[in-house]
Amino acid sequence: MAEVELRYFAAAAEAAGRDTERVETDAATVGALATLVAERYGPAMARIIEKGSLLSDGIVVRDTGRPLGARLDVLPPFTGG
Amino acid sequence: MDLATSPRYARQRILPGFGTEGQRRLADARVVVIGAGGLGSAVLPALAAAGVGTLVVVDPDVVDETNLHRQTLHGPGDVGRAKVESAAERLAEIAPELRVVQVALVFDARSAAEIVAGADVLVDASDNAAARFAADDAATAAGIPLVWGSALRFSGQAGVVWGAHGVDYRDLFPEPTDDPDTCEVAGVLPTVCTTIGGLMATEVLKLLTGVGTPLVGSVIDVDALTGAMRRLDFARDPDRDTSGPPTRPAAPQAAPQAATPAPDADAGIEPDELAAVLRSDTPPLLLDVREPWEVEAAALPGATVIPLGELPARIAELDPGLPTVVYCHHGVRSARALDLLRQAGFADARHLRGGIDSWSRAVDPSVPRY
Repeated sequence: MAEVELRYFAAAAEAAGRDTERVETDAATVGALATLVAERYGPAMARIIEKGSLLSDGIVVRDTGRPLGARLDVLPPFTGG
Repeated sequence: MDLATSPRYARQRILPGFGTEGQRRLADARVVVIGAGGLGSAVLPALAAAGVGTLVVVDPDVVDETNLHRQTLHGPGDVGRAKVESAAERLAEIAPELRVVQVALVFDARSAAEIVAGADVLVDASDNAAARFAADDAATAAGIPLVWGSALRFSGQAGVVWGAHGVDYRDLFPEPTDDPDTCEVAGVLPTVCTTIGGLMATEVLKLLTGVGTPLVGSVIDVDALTGAMRRLDFARDPDRDTSGPPTRPAAPQAAPQAATPAPDADAGIEPDELAAVLRSDTPPLLLDVREPWEVEAAALPGATVIPLGELPARIAELDPGLPTVVYCHHGVRSARALDLLRQAGFADARHLRGGIDSWSRAVDPSVPRY
């Protein structure tokens, strides 16, 4: 089990009902944890994860097979003005 | 009349590190702002009033009545007019000397190079991902920083990316995606635009004057519902392949030199390397380009002090044949000083990466950080 800090921004925070949380997880990869988060918070979060961006320890995730780090940021697309 | 010394700017000119030189840099600057909507309505008047010399305003849209609650550049009488036209009128009232270039075009890969040519800073205050990624490519091709912002519902974000300094927008979002959320369907609190636009204008002023540390590689996230601001830092994936096209357009031909050019990769020296060469038998000349009040706050022993604003007039006091290391607070002004030194024929000149602040952190904690 590893402890990971999750930070949710903008619409992701709305979907999660929180800005941040710490989770104990068996997930080994970024993708596995993202799937758990999407299942937990429902379709709005699933869409954000699909359309937005994940940063693992400050580095954008291009390969969801990347091993999980200490922190994962969930960002919706930054649009509107 | 020299506007740089006008009382109009007195309250910003007295700020540490700003001065008449900072004001002149604003007057000489050309800033391209994509979007004369909600964010543009905060960014453009702020830059005009602060004394930026040329603003290129890019927006293909006409004013719609639903824009007016947040797009305060435009009034009810402007509904149906081109946004660039109504924006230019309002900006001329704020700053009659300002040159406004109206570009009623979509900012995309085709139009980008010509619009961005000669700009010092690119600002993306648009509302869509297509413009954001086109702006990212154009800024990288031109070697200039991109200040970006977004606002939707009750929250917004702002930040700076600068490919020449190692991070672009694709290090935050790898690809544009079609997000169905727009202000039209999701709404936006007007003052989120004001807040984010204010952050964006601040970054432009910092980049142009060299004051402070720009938000390169960072995002400020604002949640209006709680009043909380959070900062997110990001970096380039060391494994990212940036070698090829497909997305980089050609650099604009004969683009004038940016006011804040990126130093070449080998022009920087790390604090620990500098400490080593200072201990060697042939130490370089240390040149401090900060303001006198900063030198009082913290300094490196033996440094020659010439504030950046005085350097062009006083460069003859220095010997171009000597190895020289220039430093400032965070490494922004020193990069500019380095350009001046190189133009003046200094063959062996480098600048301290991260400035005296990085020296305090990496080499000598007894040097105060300020």
